[in-house]
Amino acid sequence: MSHPVDRRGLLRAAGAGAAALGLGSALTSCGSDKESGTVTLTWWDYFTLDNFQPAFTRLIKDIEAEVPGVRIERRTFPFADLERQITLGAVSGDLPDIAIVDNVSMNSLAGSGLLADLTERVEAWGQADQYYKGPWDGCQVDGKSLGIPNNSNCLALYYNTRMLDSAGVEPPTTWDQLADTAQRLTSGERFGLAMSAIRTEEGVFQFLPFLWQAGGDLDTFATYGATALAFLDDLVAKGSLSEQCVGWTQQDVNTRFVNGRAALQINGPWQLPTIKKTDLEYGVVALPRDKEAATCLGGENWVVMASSDHQDKAWQVLEYTQRPSVLVPYLVALGNLPAREDLADTGTWSSDPALRLFLSQLPLARPRQYGPGYADASQAVAEAEQSVLTGTASPTAVARTTATKIDKALEDR
Amino acid sequence: MRRPRSGLRSGHRSGPRPRPRSPVSLDARRRRAGYLFSLPGLVFLALVLAYPLLYNVWTSVHDVRLSELLGGSSPFVGLDNYRTAVDDPDFWHAVRLSLVFTAGSLLFQFTIGFALALLFARPFPFNGLLRSLLLVAWLLPPVVSGTLFRWMLDQDSGAYNALLRAVGPDTLAHDWLTDPGTALAGVILANVWVGVPFNMLLLLVGLHTIDPELHEAAALDGANAWQRFRWITVPLMRPVSVTVLLLGLVYTFKVFDLVFVMTGGGPVDATSVLSVHVYEVFFKFFRFGEGAAAGLLLLLVPLVAGVVYVRRLRGEGETA
Repeated sequence: MSHPVDRRGLLRAAGAGAAALGLGSALTSCGSDKESGTVTLTWWDYFTLDNFQPAFTRLIKDIEAEVPGVRIERRTFPFADLERQITLGAVSGDLPDIAIVDNVSMNSLAGSGLLADLTERVEAWGQADQYYKGPWDGCQVDGKSLGIPNNSNCLALYYNTRMLDSAGVEPPTTWDQLADTAQRLTSGERFGLAMSAIRTEEGVFQFLPFLWQAGGDLDTFATYGATALAFLDDLVAKGSLSEQCVGWTQQDVNTRFVNGRAALQINGPWQLPTIKKTDLEYGVVALPRDKEAATCLGGENWVVMASSDHQDKAWQVLEYTQRPSVLVPYLVALGNLPAREDLADTGTWSSDPALRLFLSQLPLARPRQYGPGYADASQAVAEAEQSVLTGTASPTAVARTTATKIDKALEDR
Repeated sequence: MRRPRSGLRSGHRSGPRPRPRSPVSLDARRRRAGYLFSLPGLVFLALVLAYPLLYNVWTSVHDVRLSELLGGSSPFVGLDNYRTAVDDPDFWHAVRLSLVFTAGSLLFQFTIGFALALLFARPFPFNGLLRSLLLVAWLLPPVVSGTLFRWMLDQDSGAYNALLRAVGPDTLAHDWLTDPGTALAGVILANVWVGVPFNMLLLLVGLHTIDPELHEAAALDGANAWQRFRWITVPLMRPVSVTVLLLGLVYTFKVFDLVFVMTGGGPVDATSVLSVHVYEVFFKFFRFGEGAAAGLLLLLVPLVAGVVYVRRLRGEGETA
C-alpha cells in the first residue's frame, strides 16, 4: 500500500534538496495505487476561507463517488502563494495533478509548459460554446485549450441606497455622473467613492476598466491611460476619492463601504456574502461608462499539469465538475457566478438582483490576456496610478513613460 | 609544548613502543571523532544552506525561465544576468532605499536600545516585568508586527493618528504608509520597534560586565554622571556596541517580510527595498536568472559585515 500523504510529506520536507539528489522524479513516479485501480489525484487551490469549505468537501465527496477510481487529495494555499508554489513545485518536482488558478495567472503559466494541452479532450467534449466568451477565451492560448473556467466574476458599482436617497441622486451611469455623484456624497469622514488602487494585481484589476472605458487598452496607454488617470486624479483632488486607496485591498474597500465610510464602491460579487450579513441597504449597477462600457473579468480556471501521470483521470474530474447538476449547487455554495451562459437562468444568480446584475455584465467583461510580459506591464500600470493619486506625477507625463514600459514588457520576451 | 622525540634520541628503536598516546595522535583521533559528530550537522547545512546557495549561483549565470523549469535547457549566459540586474534603474533605487532603511533603523534602534539598557541596568520596581514585556516586540513574527503597524498607522482608524489628533491639531494626523514621502519612515518606525529589544538586551548584558567599582572610584574622584558615562561606560561598551551594530546590519539589510506586509513595496516604489525588489523579480516577473543575480548582490552587504564581525571576534579572542 502506498501512502501518498507520507510521500508528499517527505517531498515537502526534502524540498529543493530532494531535487538536488535527483529524487524528485523517482518519488513522484509512484503515485498510483495499481492493485486496486484507484488513482489519487492531488489538487491545489487558494480557496482558504472557511465559508468555501463545505462546497469543496461536498464536491470532492461527489467526485470520489461518481468518477470511477479517483481519490482526491486537496491542498490549499493563500491566494498570493499558489502561483509561487507552482513555480517552486516545478523546481522540486512537487506539482499537483489539477489546480484551480486565477485567470490572470494564465499569462505567466501558459507559456511555461507546465499546463497540459487539453485541446483534443475539449473538442471531443464539445461544450465550448456553452461558456461566456471572455472566460472561455481566457483559457485559450496560441490555439490550445489550457484549461476550463471554474467560475467567473467582474466588477460593478455598489451604492448605499439610503445615502443616495437622502442626497437625492440616482446611481451614476457615466463618468460625469460618477464624478458629480461622488462629490455630492462626500461629507466629513465619508468619501463618495471607494476603490482599490493597491500596488498589486488587485489594484490593476480595478483600474483597467477605466482605461477600457476611455476607449483605450494597454497598447494605447500614452493617450487613454492619461485620460483615465486624469479622471481619477480629479476625484482625489475634489476629495471624493481617498488618496489612501493606494493602500487598500478590495477587502479594505468593502469594509469602508459596509461601515458607511464610502457611499459608492467598485467591487466584485464575492463581497455579497459579507454585505448581506449586515443590515446595509445597497444596490448594484454596472460600472459607469465613458466612451465604452467595460468591466474586468475575474475568476478562476481549472488546469491540469503537464507533469501529471493521470491526465485522463484528471480530465474526467474536470468534465464531471462542469455538469450542470454538479456545477450549480457548487457555485451557489461558493457564492460565485457561473462561466456558463446556459446556467444563467438557474441558481441564486437568477433570483438575486445583485448577482443578476453581475451576471449581466459578464458578456462585456474583458480578460487580462496579454501574454508572458503582463506581470511587468501590470506593475507599470499600478505604479503609474499610485504616482498620480499620491500627487507625485502628472497623468500625462506618467502615462507617456508608462506606455514605454508597457510596450517593452509586452514585446515578446 | 612537549614533543615525542625522547625515543629517537635514546636509540630505543626496536623495543616495543609505548602506546601511541602522543598529543598529536590524540588530537587526530579527537578531530576524527569531532568530524563524525558534526557530520549530521554538516549534511544538514549542506542541504539547507550550501545547496540552495550554490543552486542560486548556478541560476545567476544561466538563462532560467519559467518554461525551462520543467526539464528544459537553460543555456549558460555568463554575467549577462548580473548586467541585466545592475542595468535596471529599479535595482539602484532599491539599493538606495535599503541603505536608508538600514541606516535609519540602526541609528534609532541603537540609541533607543542604549537608553533603555541604561534605564534597566539600575534596579527599580517592576524592572523584570517591563523588560520581558519589551521583549514581546522582538518575539512577535514580523508578519504580525507589520500588520499591527499597518493598522496603527492608518489615517482613519489608526491608533497612532488618533493619538496625534488628541494631542495636537488635526493636521498632525497623516497617513504615513500611503504617502510616498513618509512610507519609508513608517516602515523604519516599525522596524525600530521590532529591533529595540534586541539592542537593549545585548547592550544590557554589556553594561553588566562593567565593573561597578570603576564608577564608584570615578564618583569618589568627583566625576559627575555624564562624565562617568562618557569616559567609562562609552569606551567599555565599544566592543559590544560594534557587535550589536554589525548584527543589526546583517539582520536589517535583508528584512523582507515586515516591509512586504506593511506596504508591499509601495506606494509607487517608495519602500521597494532590495529584498522586495528581488522578490518581485523572482516571483512576480519570473526572471529567475536576473533575480538570482540580484539576490547574490543583496547578499554582499551582510556577507562583508559578517566577515568583519567574525574577524573581529577572532581578534578579541586572541587579545583576551
